[in-house]
Amino acid sequence: MKYDKFFALAKERGISEAEISIYNNYSLSFSLFHGEVDSYSSSNSSTFMARGLYNGKMGSIVSDVYNKDSAEQFVNAIIANASVIENDDPVFIFKGSVKYKKISTFNKELANISADLKLKKLFELEKKIKEIDSRVIEVETVGYEESSSSSLIMNSHGLKLSQKNNNFVYYGGAVAKEKEQVKTGFDIFFDNDFNKFDVDKLANSIVKEATSKLGGSQCDSSTYKAVLSPDVVKSLLSAYISSAIAEDVQKNSSLFVGKLNQKVASRRVTVEDKPLAKTLFARSFDDEGVATINMPVIKNGVLLNYFYNLTTAAKDNVQSNGHGAVSGGSKVYTSTWYLEMKPGKKSQDELFKEINNGVYITEVQGLHAGLNPRSGNFSLQSTGFLVENGKLSHGLDIITVSGNLVDLFNDISEVGSDSKEFISGMKCPSVIVKKLKVSGK
Amino acid sequence: MLSKKLAIEVLNEMLATGSDYAEIFVEYSTSNAVTIENGKVSSSSTGITSGAGLRLLKENRCVYGYTSDLSKKGLLSLASSLNKSFNGKQLIAVDKLEAIKCKNRNVISKSYDDIPLQEKIDLVREGTKEIESFNNPHIVRYIGNFANNHRKVEVYNSKGKWFNRDTEFARLAYSVVVADENGMETGFEGPGCQMDMSFFKDKRKPREVAHKAAETALINLNAKECPSGKMPVVIGNGWGGVLFHEACGHPLEASAVSRGLSCFAGKEGEMIASPIVTAVDDSTIPNEWGSIDIDDEGNLGEKRVLIKDGKLVNFMIDDFNGRRMNRKGNGSCRRQNYKYCPTSRMSNTYIDNGKSTPEEIIAATKLGLYAVGFNGGSVDPTTGEFNFGCSEAYIIRDGKICEPVKGATLIGKGEEILKKIDMVGNDLKLAQGMCGAASGSIRTNVGQPTLRISEITVGGRGGELK
Repeated sequence: MKYDKFFALAKERGISEAEISIYNNYSLSFSLFHGEVDSYSSSNSSTFMARGLYNGKMGSIVSDVYNKDSAEQFVNAIIANASVIENDDPVFIFKGSVKYKKISTFNKELANISADLKLKKLFELEKKIKEIDSRVIEVETVGYEESSSSSLIMNSHGLKLSQKNNNFVYYGGAVAKEKEQVKTGFDIFFDNDFNKFDVDKLANSIVKEATSKLGGSQCDSSTYKAVLSPDVVKSLLSAYISSAIAEDVQKNSSLFVGKLNQKVASRRVTVEDKPLAKTLFARSFDDEGVATINMPVIKNGVLLNYFYNLTTAAKDNVQSNGHGAVSGGSKVYTSTWYLEMKPGKKSQDELFKEINNGVYITEVQGLHAGLNPRSGNFSLQSTGFLVENGKLSHGLDIITVSGNLVDLFNDISEVGSDSKEFISGMKCPSVIVKKLKVSGK
Repeated sequence: MLSKKLAIEVLNEMLATGSDYAEIFVEYSTSNAVTIENGKVSSSSTGITSGAGLRLLKENRCVYGYTSDLSKKGLLSLASSLNKSFNGKQLIAVDKLEAIKCKNRNVISKSYDDIPLQEKIDLVREGTKEIESFNNPHIVRYIGNFANNHRKVEVYNSKGKWFNRDTEFARLAYSVVVADENGMETGFEGPGCQMDMSFFKDKRKPREVAHKAAETALINLNAKECPSGKMPVVIGNGWGGVLFHEACGHPLEASAVSRGLSCFAGKEGEMIASPIVTAVDDSTIPNEWGSIDIDDEGNLGEKRVLIKDGKLVNFMIDDFNGRRMNRKGNGSCRRQNYKYCPTSRMSNTYIDNGKSTPEEIIAATKLGLYAVGFNGGSVDPTTGEFNFGCSEAYIIRDGKICEPVKGATLIGKGEEILKKIDMVGNDLKLAQGMCGAASGSIRTNVGQPTLRISEITVGGRGGELK
């Protein structure tokens, strides 16, 4: 077999346990500008990741190629990298879980749909965006992207696991202008079932995203009652939940140190990680080969679990819950797979009525610069609307919202029923927070 | 990496259906990174990036594909699948390839490939020992990292030209997490260069870099929340240039300008900034982090003055986007690696020196914010709306730098902010960052002297500035 040489050489040179993971990716994309295909792209690529235990330490290499010289090259790199490791973290090449759930996240039909039809829908999307509202002065971009990927893990314990998935994305952006004010709006649709794509729905949403921001002005700097959109909840939750990564907790650099089985959010907040749910993001094993499980992270505001990989689980003397993520180095990181915040019963309109007067925040930007997940402090450029007498009033222009994630999640007084799924592998509803600092005028 | 014979064969296959330009980008890059966490080496890694990107143009249309299979079969099969996007007759044929010659301004006297791993570890350890010498119980976690990358690139195009580039760059970074009963803060410092180890031995010594990271984190631990609202802001030199990078640099890239999707499109020759502002993108500074001798289309690196005394005079242009602008590329075409279709990008982008001293600028400010450290930011080039987060800031009272504040975010519109710059210092400095956009994450320098913006919206949790 192709990789026998690698395993044999690894053994010969004293690598006690070895593993190779192969990732194959195929992608196709095209975009339009002013009624013409302005870009088309297609690719076929592979990534090979090899790891091994040498004198009890983990060494690794990642490469785009595997050829006749690779076995030698990979083994040398594993030994060189393992030889300098000094810390005593327990490291593993995994023997395998007892059982793996069978999951299907690959839709064969997608590849059978002609490129012409995929392109035709894109032309329709561009045309629709232009037609819906005369304030749309430009279609910034419309595009289609399709990708299909597979992964295979093989190791010297005889473990051999594979999974594959595919999906497509239609996206578009519109530029709207009124008087001298220019605003942009962007939205996407993703799935792996082509029949579910609705051109009109996406076009309407893109246009609404752009035009609804027109006519906005700054509000007074003050503390407001606020409804946060699913998009904003997704961004903030993703940062907050990263505090449950066991490694950061073990190294005293997480907001959740010592918080297991304690309250970390309002009782309205329940969050689960669901890699086994029927979604596009489903997976039956993590990058270390550990079987994944659906697990509660926060239930009614109480933190129930940390995210573990094999190393951090061994340090806490527990079993890994399948969150290992390998990204090229000898170190195994931790990832979430499909985070879902449990929706409530009230519609978004009912949430506006409930706050009566306040703000509705639809977007936050610059998370990498304006949010510190370690301290939980954030101050973010935002867009949204003023809420007056239970209804949306005018748009808000050039504002920031600021606070601390711990306070914000403890301050959630209501959760909406309007869950939205995001391509980052999350599903979140709108929420009400009792007070939010807004900087404007 | 590719024989000229095979390159010609692949180019002609790409051109067979009537594209007016074809280009092969081949890459073989190796990277190494080593990390010391809380005093012990915790990770060491090796990476190999290898593959080819094929680009075909016909008028304003671009077709791109990439593969990690560099065999003749792999490349010809990709070329023939891509050429199906066009259905005309072959317009151009390539029968020979001539080398483009360019200066190598980024000379490395000793390759990082020849430096033993242990020497790199020792370098990182100098800094982590400095952090340990703080002997401060509030420091709960500290990480030092050294990463170097050796990138070999060959480009062949249907103009009958080819060239190669062999570049090496390295970055040393420290991050520190501190905590007390009130919460947790972080500090980061990460200089980089296209230069040999002497950069880290003479110019940016590990001890000084690590010291700064720890100091920033500890200052923030004791800082109050930043006030919010509109106020004058003095922006420190070096990393402060991220403001210009986000607010104006991205909207001056041809990728946005050529499609009319930039707030500065059609404004060449107009005053878009205060008359004391001159801004430059210069890819020719020797050994600088963002420098390139030749871009991905074979155009030589240039010093481009973008704004001269407030007037918009130039953009960062690549040949392809230049087609819509009737302009030739000016050496700005870049990409992260072969998996990205290249486009116009920044290199070393900075606001040039003015006449004031930094001390004069502070002294002239009665009440405002002095922002000296930054986490980065983002921008919508169409509207010009930008944001960036401060990692180190102080309140200025009666012309003096006073108490530290944390959690400040500055937001605004590029067009408006450029006009509100009312003092520019004479202490220009560059700082290294990674910039993410359509063609991936690339090395860019930001930079500026100390300058003042008469009024900008500051977001923070500290209430009104008093």
